[in-house]
Amino acid sequence: QLIDFQWKLGMAVSSDSCRSLKYPYVAVMLKVADHSGQVKNKSFEMTIPQFQNFYRQFKEIAAIIETV
Amino acid sequence: MAGELESCKPLSGLLSGLAQDAFYGHPGITEELLRSQLYPDVPIEEFRPFQAKMRGILKSIASADMDFNQLEAFLTAQTKKQGGITSDQAAVISKFWKSHKTKIRESLMNQSRWDSGLRGLSWRVDGKSQSRHSAEIHTPVAIMELEIGKSGQESEFLCLEFDEIKVNQVLKKLSEIFRDHS
Repeated sequence: QLIDFQWKLGMAVSSDSCRSLKYPYVAVMLKVADHSGQVKNKSFEMTIPQFQNFYRQFKEIAAIIETV
Repeated sequence: MAGELESCKPLSGLLSGLAQDAFYGHPGITEELLRSQLYPDVPIEEFRPFQAKMRGILKSIASADMDFNQLEAFLTAQTKKQGGITSDQAAVISKFWKSHKTKIRESLMNQSRWDSGLRGLSWRVDGKSQSRHSAEIHTPVAIMELEIGKSGQESEFLCLEFDEIKVNQVLKKLSEIFRDHS
């Protein structure tokens, strides 16, 4: 069960392995509860194209769930 | 044996090997392996500074994520340096970067991502139907499976359930990302 969903849009500017990274990414933090009620935080990152796909899929889900 | 080092045929192979080691994290690519495979007639004392020079050049190019203008300028400057590279070698390096730039950049991006990445996403929508014997109301549910994982580690699968309200809440939040940053 998803309890909360937070997002952060970040831009990785530089790192020790690459001075000129310049890549934007979306970091997501999910707060989920399992059947026993235990709450956990799960986080992951997406590149922008991945995020756009994620968003598109959610829109599809919304469209379908409305008609079911 | 300077002539050997100047020959360009093995240079492409050397750059590949250096990239495997420096960017793709491929284990086992030692100096000796590279020397014996690509420059077998060059003694190790001569090979060592040579490959170090090439590695340094490759790392500079990758670190600055050079575009082709920057690359030209950088390589030209290297050819003019004392103990630098020949223009033939510059051409080989240029060709190498042009064909491997995207892959190397992707590899560097992955190295800088310490959190899990999204590896896969699948979903379906179930309709819980009404049954004659229970008062269950028709509540459609979206079930989403997210596959996430850190670089080099096994995937974790998250299975999430959303009702219609939740789906729309999340959708609203997702659209906010575009609001300020498209």
